[in-house]
Amino acid sequence: MSDGLQQVPQRNQVDAYRRHFMAAVTGAATLATLAPGVILREASAATRPDVTARPPEQPATSVVRWGMLIDTARLGDGGAAMVAACRREHGWGHDPRASPEQQPQWVRTVRVTDKLTQHSFTLPVMCQHCEHPPCVDVCPTGASMKRADGIVQVNKHICIGCRYCMMACPYKARSFVHEPLTDQRPHSPRGMGTVESCNLCVHRIDTGRIPACAEAAPQAVIFGDLNDPDSRISQAVQALGGTQIRADLDLNTGVRYLNI
Amino acid sequence: MMLKLFNPPVSGGRLLAALLLAGLLAACDAAVPQPELGVARAKADQCVEPTGDMRRNHMQYLLTHRDETVIEGIRTTQHSLVECVNCHVAPVRADGSAVHYPDKDHFCASCHTYAGVKIDCFQCHADRPQVMDNPDYPHPLSANRYHQLASGGGTTVSLSDMLAVSGMGSGSTAGEVRP
Repeated sequence: MSDGLQQVPQRNQVDAYRRHFMAAVTGAATLATLAPGVILREASAATRPDVTARPPEQPATSVVRWGMLIDTARLGDGGAAMVAACRREHGWGHDPRASPEQQPQWVRTVRVTDKLTQHSFTLPVMCQHCEHPPCVDVCPTGASMKRADGIVQVNKHICIGCRYCMMACPYKARSFVHEPLTDQRPHSPRGMGTVESCNLCVHRIDTGRIPACAEAAPQAVIFGDLNDPDSRISQAVQALGGTQIRADLDLNTGVRYLNI
Repeated sequence: MMLKLFNPPVSGGRLLAALLLAGLLAACDAAVPQPELGVARAKADQCVEPTGDMRRNHMQYLLTHRDETVIEGIRTTQHSLVECVNCHVAPVRADGSAVHYPDKDHFCASCHTYAGVKIDCFQCHADRPQVMDNPDYPHPLSANRYHQLASGGGTTVSLSDMLAVSGMGSGSTAGEVRP
């Protein structure tokens, strides 16, 4: 990523990208200016939500694969609002006895600067929800798991806190809780001796809502089903691509970025 | 006393021990103290299963439900721990102090202390309802403010005012990432 020269497109390309992304975000308002590949089906895009609620008794299926596309150029604050929304939703980041280095962080902002050109950008980095997650490979108990719909999470009921997954994750996405906690958020249990990380707000997705971070930055983030060719995110990544961090690892991440 | 019949040569020590045991059992039978259950803030007339069933088997229901929820994403509310807490635990006492699971007047702890069974759920799970998710709980500090926040009323709310959420800041750490 720091060899950004190859990845940063020409100025006019940036504008084209932004225009396309804008169109994908705002729906059919600017249809006339779009290339055919980018056109969203008006009815479906305008009316159908990115996430539809499953009946509560129905398990998650591999028919869907949840993904997120983040345009760093449109974030404005580099993702600080997304981080704040995540903290509020899950209640991490203010464990009373942890030192700053020990504080859990489910998502953080990372500033990348090209040493040669001084070109820099900031992006939010969280669990990338890999199709082939290294954290799941190394877990000795099966606590680090990938749900059928592609969400990678920790089953804290059987996590023994060995922290292998933290070592294995190339994105430094996981944290460990070192101390007893009280008054956790009811839908986001957190406890001493277990590893935790972004779970794409699984409790929201299961009830038909988008993750808190995506809700906090609607101008820059598209969340949806990568398996559905008609979803907003599928059309956006088809038209604009979407960079994976550490694509060389072939993990096929569910979180993709634009303009990095 | 059958013991004596079939073992005529009973030593004095064994007889004494048998008598003591019999006395102890009799005393236990006579007065088994009842657990003092914490105040249940139940909203319904009956729990999700018959009361006797819940007393014996609630742990099995929770165990099954937790795996279904975490692994498969099934989010029915009948055997959900969050719903247990919502119904059975009030967020604060009458004097405004918080109720937590190590306290003897916490609904779950009151019986678990009595039975001498350690309870692990609340090391991770919220042990009382929270106002942000349950605005119908009239917490004097948070409820109104949260409504203002939710309706976009423009009032800046210090999140530390709300239960369980404090120390919110930008907090994001900028760092280098490997290429």
